[in-house]
Amino acid sequence: MQSSASLTISDLWIERGERDLCKGLSFSVQSGDVVRILGENGAGKSSLLKVIAGVLSPLEGQILYSGEDVTLDRNPLQQDAIYLGHSIGVKSLLTVAENLRWYCPDVSTSMLYSVLTQLGLIDQVDVPVKKLSAGQARRVALARLWLNKKTLWLLDEPFASLDVRGVALLEERIQQHVLLGGLVILTTHQDLLSIALRDVALLL
Amino acid sequence: MTYSSFLVSEFLVLWRRKQDVFNALLFFIIVVALFPIGINSSPDFLAPAAAGIVWCAAVLAILMAVESMFKEDYRDGSLEQLVVSGLSLPLLILLKVVAQWLAVVLPLLVMMPLLSEMLYLPRSGFRVLIMTLLIGTPSLFFIGVIGAALTVSIKQGAMLVMLLILPFYLPVIIFSTLAIKAAQAGLPYSGLLAMLLAMSLMSLVISPFMTAIAVKASVN
Amino acid sequence: MSWAWFHKLGSPKWFFSWSKSWPLPVFCFGCFCLVIGLAWGLAFAPADYQQGNSFRIIYIHVPVAMLAQSCYLALGVSGFVFLVWQMKMAPIFIKAMAPIGAIMALIALVSGAIWGKPTWGTWWVWDARLTSVLVLFFLYMGIIALQNSLEDQVLANKAAAVISVVGLINLPIIKYSVVLLETLHQGPTFTLTKKPEMPAEMWLPLLFSVIGLYCFVAGVVLWRMQSEILIREHRSSWVKQEVMEHGL
Ligand SMILES: Nc1ncnc2c1ncn2[C@@H]1O[C@H](COP(=O)(O)OP(=O)(O)OP(=O)(O)O)[C@@H](O)[C@H]1O
Ligand SMILES: [Mg+2]
Repeated sequence: MQSSASLTISDLWIERGERDLCKGLSFSVQSGDVVRILGENGAGKSSLLKVIAGVLSPLEGQILYSGEDVTLDRNPLQQDAIYLGHSIGVKSLLTVAENLRWYCPDVSTSMLYSVLTQLGLIDQVDVPVKKLSAGQARRVALARLWLNKKTLWLLDEPFASLDVRGVALLEERIQQHVLLGGLVILTTHQDLLSIALRDVALLL
Repeated sequence: MTYSSFLVSEFLVLWRRKQDVFNALLFFIIVVALFPIGINSSPDFLAPAAAGIVWCAAVLAILMAVESMFKEDYRDGSLEQLVVSGLSLPLLILLKVVAQWLAVVLPLLVMMPLLSEMLYLPRSGFRVLIMTLLIGTPSLFFIGVIGAALTVSIKQGAMLVMLLILPFYLPVIIFSTLAIKAAQAGLPYSGLLAMLLAMSLMSLVISPFMTAIAVKASVN
Repeated sequence: MSWAWFHKLGSPKWFFSWSKSWPLPVFCFGCFCLVIGLAWGLAFAPADYQQGNSFRIIYIHVPVAMLAQSCYLALGVSGFVFLVWQMKMAPIFIKAMAPIGAIMALIALVSGAIWGKPTWGTWWVWDARLTSVLVLFFLYMGIIALQNSLEDQVLANKAAAVISVVGLINLPIIKYSVVLLETLHQGPTFTLTKKPEMPAEMWLPLLFSVIGLYCFVAGVVLWRMQSEILIREHRSSWVKQEVMEHGL
């Protein structure tokens, strides 16, 4: 994990289908920030996250990560980032443990089990993900946030289908992460209750 | 994510989906059986035609297996995760193809003695048949995977992949069957095997990059 | 040498205004040459001493078959240009060109079959040339089907470019393998175009119809590209202005 990271975006222009999104958007955020991207449905929140993560390419604009220009090659950013999209990237045929081993091969078993206990998944360790509920599957994907040591988190509606306890757990984890110098960019339709840190709202 | 953890997860998924591989093999046997039943079951017809029959059936079975290679990953978002993983996408694709190849072609080879008996393939041709399958099928996978990646976002893409990819398979079928026939006739065939090898190597170099472009364009 | 023209080609707006005056004269010139070549070839050129009058179909078959291949070459090259330089005009070109190429391959197949009937006695022979044109036709249909099935414009562009490039790499191998298949399967048969020395009054009309068809297709493709540009760029201000000033 980098001790201080920053993300600067200037004069962005995303073209999606027939629509121009985020035209002329510029902002700069750094370690310690929790950035909430707000906007109505279809405003381009997910598209913005995908552009930052490198799933999409912007039509114009510049993206700097920790001073390095990653507009053309997002690799330096990807090395240090976790992206969770609308589809969570968990393989339904693999068990919970196998899925997490795939994403985080270096994690010790005890660490894995303690995180799964925390997330309430300890009884499902060896259950294939297709037999889990939507919220449980989401928790499996979110477990990476406890297991991986990456600075930049790009979370697309991470609270979707989580219960009250799950939301609280995640908020707590996000707070902990930014205190340690992480940078979190997320889209959400709800207010973050417990995060009182440098919370930046970005309205599209 | 690392390359090795990716490979392990690929093998695990293939193992969980062993029924699919089994189905592809069954399909292969049924297609092979159609020829003696549908055309002519005499050794006079089958012995010279055996190489062509086996290869056509193998091509269809392999295309069926390759076509759906990215479907599940696309649906659950793990394809997107490969793109943002920070690892080299062409290399990940290469690993995936290798895993798939092992899972499909090795069982296919195991069944060959049985099938060559069923089709009265002479001893002289059998050894070359195995060799052509070993050298030739990688290029089928590498070419097919491009089509699979291009059509992954289409719901019913199987027919399209067939239409798109089968013409590219013609040279592989031609070189292989000619090599087997040459061997049966006692003629030299190493030049044809070299062509097959060249095709496999060339597709191994080009296809992962093309497929990576296609995957990146498909996940959005 | 300046590369400015190359970069300008990437801009649909620039291309549109540059090419506005081209299609009509090119098309008319093509029609003119084509009419001369065909009339000359079909009616006035001397009959072949071996094949009689049936050989006259080369005045259709040869230009069409040449175009079918040239079109694919052009598709592959523009696909490559798109993958490397992201030039916006390349997919427009592919979209405009692919159906034309498919039609050319189809006409080549049909005219080849018509030629085959008096020459070989059957409509179809697995001759290396005919077979490779057939494969070429399949390749075109694949590209067209792919473009039609993909709704997302960005993906459709990339897909058509990828498959064209892969096809271009494969085409020589396919041709080689088909020739190999033929030479190993049957003795030397009569091949369609390796003909003994042609007298000038026989190949001149051929030249006319080849040049004519190239220009004809160039004109049609330019038109198709222009309308495709208007469709794709319909939101931009210059298209609105264009339509206001000149109508559709
Ligand atoms: N695959 C696609 N192809 C074409 N256009 C798309 C595609 N996905 C999204 N769009 C367009 O891009 C716009 C922004 O989509 P995006 O998913 O970024 O919205 P969002 O802000 O995340 O919305 P939500 O709150 O519903 O998640 C939408 O209006 C839609 O029209
Ligand atoms: Mg969204």
